[in-house]
Amino acid sequence: MLMPHRFRNAIVLVLTCGIIAVAAVAARADETCNSPYVTKLIKGQEDYVYVWALGVDGLGDGSDKLVTVDVNPKSKTYGKVLNSVSVGTRGEAHHMGFTDDRRFIWAGGLSEPKIYVFDIGTDPGKPKLVKTIGDMADKTGYLGPHTYYAMPGRMLVQALSNTKDKGGRTGMALYNNAGEFVASYPMPTDGGGDGYGYDLAVNPRKNVLLTSSFTGYDNYMRPLGEVVKDQEAMKRFGNTMVVWDLKAMKPKTVLAVPGTPLEIRWSLKQGDDWAITATALTSKLWLVKQDKGEWRAKEVATIGDPAKIPLPVDISITRDGKGLWVNTFMDGTTRYFDLSNPEAPKETYQKVTGKQVNMISQSWDGRRVYITSSLLANWDKDGADNEQFLRGFRWNGKELTPAFEVDFAKEKLGRAHHMKLGSKSLRSASTTQ
Amino acid sequence: MTPRGAGGALGALLAGALWLTSGAAAHEPARMPAPDFVPPPPGTYTLERIMAAPDGEVLGLDGRPQRLGAFTHERITVLGFIYTTCVDPDGCPRAYQVFDAVHEAVAAAPALRERVRLVTLSFDPARDTPSMMRRYAGSRARPGPVPWLFLTTRSARELMPLLEGFGQDIRYTTDRSSGAPRRELAHVLKVFLIDRAGFVREIYSSEFLYRRTVLNDIETLMLEERAR
Repeated sequence: MLMPHRFRNAIVLVLTCGIIAVAAVAARADETCNSPYVTKLIKGQEDYVYVWALGVDGLGDGSDKLVTVDVNPKSKTYGKVLNSVSVGTRGEAHHMGFTDDRRFIWAGGLSEPKIYVFDIGTDPGKPKLVKTIGDMADKTGYLGPHTYYAMPGRMLVQALSNTKDKGGRTGMALYNNAGEFVASYPMPTDGGGDGYGYDLAVNPRKNVLLTSSFTGYDNYMRPLGEVVKDQEAMKRFGNTMVVWDLKAMKPKTVLAVPGTPLEIRWSLKQGDDWAITATALTSKLWLVKQDKGEWRAKEVATIGDPAKIPLPVDISITRDGKGLWVNTFMDGTTRYFDLSNPEAPKETYQKVTGKQVNMISQSWDGRRVYITSSLLANWDKDGADNEQFLRGFRWNGKELTPAFEVDFAKEKLGRAHHMKLGSKSLRSASTTQ
Repeated sequence: MTPRGAGGALGALLAGALWLTSGAAAHEPARMPAPDFVPPPPGTYTLERIMAAPDGEVLGLDGRPQRLGAFTHERITVLGFIYTTCVDPDGCPRAYQVFDAVHEAVAAAPALRERVRLVTLSFDPARDTPSMMRRYAGSRARPGPVPWLFLTTRSARELMPLLEGFGQDIRYTTDRSSGAPRRELAHVLKVFLIDRAGFVREIYSSEFLYRRTVLNDIETLMLEERAR
């Protein structure tokens, strides 16, 4: 990735002046759910929430876009949209991730094998599209880049589908930070593996990469109502998680986790070596941990009433590993689970936060919680239930209190999906502690 | 699922190289952090070609300008950035400790000593002059079977393309915690393993920077070369 001239010149000036030098290790975790290799943890007040939004035909320019919202309560533009960067096409915008140096955001869509790279280091309040990576399909045959997970000097991208049959068999693509393809790793189809992919998360201390499984393009691009009525289609959902040797990038153990395990969160507490996930179709929390040296998955809690298919989607773990937010899409409910005993999580709070809710992110101190509305273009609700928003809440440990809202439909921005936090202090080469 | 074993052609070399892995495990120096996992054996995994190592002008301890590329080819190279004033125990001192251990192990291994070098390159040209680097290097810079180069740059303008090329992040900060503002340069610890053709094959963060993992990776590159 070429370094912006402004950034380079600033560093040259700093280095020329002479400095006292210190080293910093990578943060153990970012605002609770990023790669442990991502640096520059925001431990104080974040200034921005970046929202990766799906374009909607007839709404604004109809294209996917990265939207920057001011979320600093001390700012005059608190709760307002500062800017948006359109990518000029509509490709089912979904997730994004920081590079390890947190100077760039990689984002992509599920209906195309394209990855967009935004510079957020030069001006954190004004992201700029600087590169489009378009060779994933040619290099790997994978379709629908989903999770962008920073590794030292490179980005590991988990895809959801493939270009051959658009089913769920897929894999991971590795790129260097300049956006050059390095290698690919297919999801295992032997040893109990179903070949599906969704999220990935790393525990470097244990040399473990953990992956989960969803479904392919042929399902996630169909209307949800059609999919659930199609018994053959419903068989084509993931039921596994895979434990990989991170160093070797080889699958070691396939874990049976029925019901489509989605987001993966490792406990951030030093010394904890367990991860938790939620299964979308069976509405359960599953714990992944070592037992006598072997990694095992265990069902540990129920989310809502599974018979009503609440559809748990995103989860967010607190920095101390003691609590977990869970959003359930269908009933628009945000739930808090006490994870003091990860073997037996208990729901201690719930609140309806929208007619449909998907992603949830929290600040490092846990006092601010952000929620967006969109799941997939063809799975979102219709009519008045199709709210599209970013909502900010304050959390005092007992109650979620609304703080601000951005109406993405009214602002002609599209469907609000994944979020990342930003800070003015992360302007490259000119920060102050 | 069982990882694939090394091919038969590599078996003899693996067996011959067992001294390294077993030695690394048995003689991990006191206070040297050890991984909380068993790394995969050399030759059972692939180190991908992540990127070409960048080239540019550097200064040796004698102050003469040279190309960095002369020190990232022909031998397997372990390269790390440091500041001579760095005191963070998880940063430059940790890298130095691992470099020392790797240097010692490679020097003791006839099969490796002619094929490996270490490079320590300063982030801080304004402070780390060649004479400062000479003092920092001490006896480590003496000629020996395993070269250990201590390099700096003439100025930030020469340094920046190298930092950019390696993707080594730095950040200028002002620390006000002690009252008086103090300018600092923060960076994330990264150490680069470069093959004989000049490609970066591994980037170690602090979580993976162990004597044993580095030696395993050096062996893996050597096994790869012999299998060609």
